[in-house]
Order: sequence, then structure tokens, then C-alpha cells
Amino acid sequence: MSRRLLIVEDDSETREFIAKGFAEEGFAVETAPDGREGLYHATDGSFDVIILDRMLPGLDGLALIKSIRAAGLKTPVLMLTAMSAVDERVKGLRAGADDYLVKPFSFQELHARIEALLRRPQDTEEAAVLTCRDLQMDLLARRVTRGGQDIALTPREFQILEFFLRRKNRVISRTMLLEGVWDYHFDPNTNVVDVHISKLRRQIDEHGNGALIETVRGAGYMMSDG
Amino acid sequence: MAKPLVFIRNSRTRLVLASMVLSTLLTAAVLGLVYVTANRTIAGETRSVVTAELTGLADEYERLGMIGLITAIERRTENAAERDALYLLTDPLGTVLAGNLTSWPPEVEPGSGWVELDLIRTASNEPVPISAASIRLRGGERLLVGRDASARRQFDRVLFRSVALALMAALALSLLTGWLLTRLVFSRLKDIAQTADDIVSGDLTRRIPLRGSGDEFDQMGATLNEMLDRIEELVSNLRTASNSVAHDLRSPLSRLRQRVEALSDPGRTGPEREADAARALSEVDHLLRVFAQLTEISRAEAGLGREEFEPVDLGQLVQDVVELYDPVAADQSVRLQVEGEAEPVRGHRPLLSQALSNLLENALRYAPPGSEITVSLSDVRGYPRLSVRDEGPGVPETELPRLAQPFVTLDPARSCRNSGLGLALVAAIARMHGGAFAAENRDPGLEVTLSLAKQAA
Repeated sequence: MSRRLLIVEDDSETREFIAKGFAEEGFAVETAPDGREGLYHATDGSFDVIILDRMLPGLDGLALIKSIRAAGLKTPVLMLTAMSAVDERVKGLRAGADDYLVKPFSFQELHARIEALLRRPQDTEEAAVLTCRDLQMDLLARRVTRGGQDIALTPREFQILEFFLRRKNRVISRTMLLEGVWDYHFDPNTNVVDVHISKLRRQIDEHGNGALIETVRGAGYMMSDG
Repeated sequence: MAKPLVFIRNSRTRLVLASMVLSTLLTAAVLGLVYVTANRTIAGETRSVVTAELTGLADEYERLGMIGLITAIERRTENAAERDALYLLTDPLGTVLAGNLTSWPPEVEPGSGWVELDLIRTASNEPVPISAASIRLRGGERLLVGRDASARRQFDRVLFRSVALALMAALALSLLTGWLLTRLVFSRLKDIAQTADDIVSGDLTRRIPLRGSGDEFDQMGATLNEMLDRIEELVSNLRTASNSVAHDLRSPLSRLRQRVEALSDPGRTGPEREADAARALSEVDHLLRVFAQLTEISRAEAGLGREEFEPVDLGQLVQDVVELYDPVAADQSVRLQVEGEAEPVRGHRPLLSQALSNLLENALRYAPPGSEITVSLSDVRGYPRLSVRDEGPGVPETELPRLAQPFVTLDPARSCRNSGLGLALVAAIARMHGGAFAAENRDPGLEVTLSLAKQAA
């Protein structure tokens, strides 16, 4: 069964761009050009994920998300915002959005985030051990091994690795890492995230065969099983 | 241009007039009181003397009879020292028996109290003003005792004239003081109005002249000048920023144009096009980053986001950001060092993290391999401070004040990722927190300090 996506966006060009992209990825896409219609569609409750613009005619994005949540709908919502200011981003999350993305964005980034939102419930939250090929992470003992050999990681490296292990086979962008691991909602000018990843790679690939974390050009990173 | 001055002139006239009218009224009231009181006192004095004399003469009549009374009157009228004293004794029919007045005034009923009238003295045959009292004696004779009032009237006139003169002098004086006082006040106001005029016509460098007296005008002038300094700074920042936006965005935009133009060239191969597209994207990203930072700066300058203030543990914040940059520094063989501590502050946690991140990125840009970057926290009398010091080449002294201005990059080979807005944002965040941004050469290196507002204990 294809996954159902609702796009609430007033700018028709952006709306078509996103809709086309997700349709190609196999989503069943529904669109709404304003807040009222968006609310009407959203409350019908059959969507797996909603992409919502922050500024909408009729009903503001923040107000819309509050109405959706007040109606008891738990559908994951990703908010698109043209306001890059740090506190504006935080406001969206507080209002009940599950994630946000600053306009303009690359489709790859949006896709990666939507995939992340969709798989959230299936997360291996209860598991005590996360694995990827010959790598094992014991969450209780805070221990990581590759091919049976212990790998000593700093708490931060452990955290990054856990972030990847919980999102296997999905593209993870640099900003997703920065937000998810460090809880920073600003864009550093330098390649801080890349440096952390390459450091982590050196640690975990030293004793194993084959790189676990691959770079996805123009989008970020991915840890794959296969 | 002429407007404020006209206003001053008008209000000055009004002020002088009002002060003049007020002080004149006050002086007139005081002088009037003096005049009336003096008159009353003198009149009362005359009355009591005359009444006493009337009683004395009546006694004489009781004791010595009519002859005795006449003798007493004659003795008194002959006394040269009492030239103003007037007496008249007549029989019941009005025939004069003694005294220095010619006839009994028909309008005076004996015993009717105090009267003021003109009578003819025996000596001069001229009518003189008289204040007098009279009685009817037991035998029906009438006795009148009075005082020649011409001397008193004379005194009255003199007193009146002096009072009027004094009033005029007071008037002149109040005019003078009013004029001087307003001249003092308005000359200072005129300085301010003149400065304001000059500023309105575009000269933002003008300041209100201070006289160094430290008076209220100087204090007000100094405060206004501070305000003008801040306004000038903001306006010049704005000018620099808009000029720089125009200038700085021109090159990435023209590079972008070249890439896009190249893309439409049918002669380009697939990989070449891919490279063009990637570079065009990176130019666009750079432009977007610049715009995002400009927005962030203006929001911080406007104090937006203050409602998000929360208690922030600076030590933890520093540790987290330093941890983020540690591997980057290690790649450059630079060591990050943290020292000192500070009390928790109320602030915007994400923006403070961003500020420190910008400071570290700036330091890392100039830190030579093998050097150290020190992040230090301190509490200077309740003012928390966050400093980042590198061991790089520092900055020419003359450039220090410009460091936090938007689009100032001292690196001539401006790297694509360095927008020149990083430190401007730090300064804006400092101001948003009621603090300040400062940069100092430490030889070697540069120390940049973000000081925050004094924290309530």
C-alpha cells in the first residue's frame, strides 16, 4: 500500500515540485493551496504524513497545526518555513510540528526527513542491542564492537553512531545530525559535522571490512545494511 | 529651518510677559498694603489725639466752667508748636466763642463722630482740609477739635508717588530678569534646536555643544549626544550594510549567472554540466546563507526572541560548543582550551550557542597550526563574560572598531564561506542580551569578548 502524503502549500510552483517528487518516490499525494482546505483534508485522518507551509492564506501554519493536534490527530507533520531565524524554527516545533525545514531546501533533504518521520514508530526503541552488519551496539553496557573487537568511543561518537543505527538505510542530512545529536538549530559555516563523521568513521572502520557510513552526494550520509 | 526658532521666540515672549505680570501683581499687592497700612496708622494716631483732646477740654469745662474752657482753647491756639491743631467753640446758636476757625460748618451735627471737611481758618481766610470730631457741651455749646489735614495729604501724595515709583522699578526689574533668564535658557535651547536642524538637513555628525558646567542643560545635552552617537552608528551600519549587500552580492550573482549561462551551452559535456550545476547551487546556497544571517542580525538587533529567554548554564553551553568544534580544531592542529566559570544567565540559549560558534569559527580561521584557542568565562562584578582568544596575527588597531560591522572581512582573499556577518551577528546577540561586544589585540592573537548584562542575584 502506498504511503499517503498531504501537502499544504500556497506557492503553486513549490507545491507541484514537491508533489511530483514524492509521486515519483511512490507516494499517494494530495495537495491543498490554503490553510482551510488543508485543515479539511488533514482532519479526515487518512494521511501518513503532512508537509505544511508556515505561512498560509486563510489559516496560518502554526494555527493549523494547533487545530490538528487539538483534534487529537498524531499524524507526523513537517513544517516548511521561509523564516530561517533560529527562534522561528523552535516556535514551529513547540507548536506541535515533528520536524521543520527551512526554505529553500533540496528535495533530497525533504525526502530524507519525510522518510525519517514515517519510520519513527517502527524505531527499535526497546531493543537493547542495535546492529549493522558486523557492528554491534549494546545500549545498556554502552559498548560497541565490530567483528567482535571492542571500539572505544567518546559519548558523542556513541550518540552519533546510535543516531545512524536507529535510522539505517535512510539518508541523514548534516542539519538533521546537528539537530538530532547536538540540538543545535543554526547552520555552522564550517564543515563541523563532516569532521565528526570522518572521525567516527576512522574509529568504526578500523577493525571491520568495508565502510559502514557512506556519503550521499548533495544530501548527507547513510548507514546501510547491505 | 526657521520653525523651531520662531517657536522659541514666541514662547520666550510669552514667558517674559507672564513672569513680568506675575511679579508686578505681587509687588503691587505688597506696596498697596504698605500704603493702606501707613494711611490707616496715621489716621488712627490723629483720631486718638483729637479724641483725647476733646475729652480733656470737656473736663476743663466741667471743672472750670465756660471761662476755663475758653482760656484753655486760647492757650492752645497760641501755642506755635501746635499749628495744625484746630479748635472751635460756639454757643448753641452757632456764634463763635473761641477757636481758630471762622464758623461752625452747618453740615456737622455735634457728637456725630469723625468728619472730613474743608473749613476756613481765622489766620488765612483760606479753606483747609480738616479731620475733626465734635461734641455738644452740657450748656448746649458746641465744641469741635480737629487737625489740619493738608500736611497729611501732602505726606499721602508723597507716599503714593514713592509707591508708584517702586512699582515701576519692580516692573522694569522683572522685565530685565525675565529677559536675562529666558535668554540663558533659550540660548541653550537654541543650541539644541540648531543641532537638531543640522541633523535634519543631513549632517549626522553634529552634536549639541556642552559648556562644561555640568548643569542640567549639559547633562541633557550629553544624554542626547549619546543617543545621537548610537543613531549615527546604526545609520552608518545600515548604510554600510546596504552598500555592502549591493556590492557583495554582485560577485556571487554574476558567478551564478555565468554557471547558468554555461548550462545552456549545448557544447558542454554531461560531467561539465554537472559541475556547473553544482557550482551554481553552491553560489545560491551562499547567497541564501547571507540573507539568513542578515535576517538573524536584524531580528537580534530588534530584540525579537527575548520572550524565549531562559536560564542558561554558560559552562555547559561552552563545553557543548567546544566539543562540537574540537575535531575541526584538531584537524588544523589547533588546541581548544576552556577556562574559568560564570554564574548562570538568563538568555537565548540557541543564539548564545550560535554566537560562540561564530567566535570559534572566526578564531579557527586565523589560528596558525600548533597554536591554542582559549575560551574563557568570567564574572566581572556580576557581569558574565565570554571571551575567545586565538594566537593568530591579530587585527590592525585601526580596524578593531570595524570588526563587528556587517560585511567587514579583513581577509583580502575572501573565502566563499565567509560572509563577513559572523561577528556582526555576535555583536547583535550581545546587544540583544543588554551586553556588548569588544575586540582587543593580545599580541599574539586577538581576544574577542562577549559581555552580557548584569544578572539579578
